[in-house]
Amino acid sequence: MTPDEPARHTGAGRRDDRVVPVYAVTGGRTRSSGRDLPVESLVLATDRWAGDLQKEHRMIIELAGRPVSLMEVGAALRVPVGVARVLVSDLADSGYLVVHAPAPAGVGGRPAAEVLNRLLAGLRAR
Amino acid sequence: MRDDNGPIPLKVVVAGGFGVGKTTLVRALSEIPPLLTEEPLTAASVGVDDIAAVPGKNTTTVAMDFGRITVDDALILYLFGTPGQDRFWFMWDELARGSVGAVVLVDLRRVEDCFPAVDYCENRQLPFVVALNDFPGTTGFSAETVREALALAPDVPVVRMDARSDGSCLATIIALVEHALERTTVAG
Repeated sequence: MTPDEPARHTGAGRRDDRVVPVYAVTGGRTRSSGRDLPVESLVLATDRWAGDLQKEHRMIIELAGRPVSLMEVGAALRVPVGVARVLVSDLADSGYLVVHAPAPAGVGGRPAAEVLNRLLAGLRAR
Repeated sequence: MRDDNGPIPLKVVVAGGFGVGKTTLVRALSEIPPLLTEEPLTAASVGVDDIAAVPGKNTTTVAMDFGRITVDDALILYLFGTPGQDRFWFMWDELARGSVGAVVLVDLRRVEDCFPAVDYCENRQLPFVVALNDFPGTTGFSAETVREALALAPDVPVVRMDARSDGSCLATIIALVEHALERTTVAG
């Protein structure tokens, strides 16, 4: 690890357009009960009224009008996926979101044959 | 808070050396625009604790492509291009965990670039296909030559593809899913 290395992996201007600093978004917390959620976990908004929530929370709920992954939430808010996980967990705990975790695992933690068959049929039909 | 009766996310890892076509493949298939993710540089596998301590110091933008294919109402496939730099190896575990498997892209002019990805898949028993991206000047190599060069197990599919062609990219993903399904069936 070389944290002091010049920021050649940092996109120009990206840091500046984050809505608010990460530590503010999460209220200073960086862990949550949902930290084990895989990055592809899907979130869906419930119909609970969210008008009084902070901006980042409302952004997530708006995104989650259709199923979106933690990864997409992080990218849309321009925060690391770990931060997205905290925000999503909070919203799920408060009933604003439902989290759909990956399919029940088959052999070796891989998706079960039934799910793979569905995937295969769907891809072949494209 | 988890609900297992709703939509199901699946993921495929797209691996290979720098410039081999990972980005091209992911973008060819994705229905969403390319997005970059920003990730913690240090202690990333244990959480994001350090970000709060030193805001703005410990994150970097990882050029990790990800794409999305909505397969049907309740099945969404994500494609993750693995970050190329060595210092992002920690992310592979998170991406590989629970995945369908990996597509290892190979540029026949630089076959050795795919060794780490092949080693990784073999060590973790992750189902994978080796996809020979069809760069100019590489058509003379046969799949069997590559299989020998990489010392692949007989059941690992080797496919020739062109990352610039959407149909070819889709066929590669299908080859992986077929292989993953075979492995499941055999093991089960």
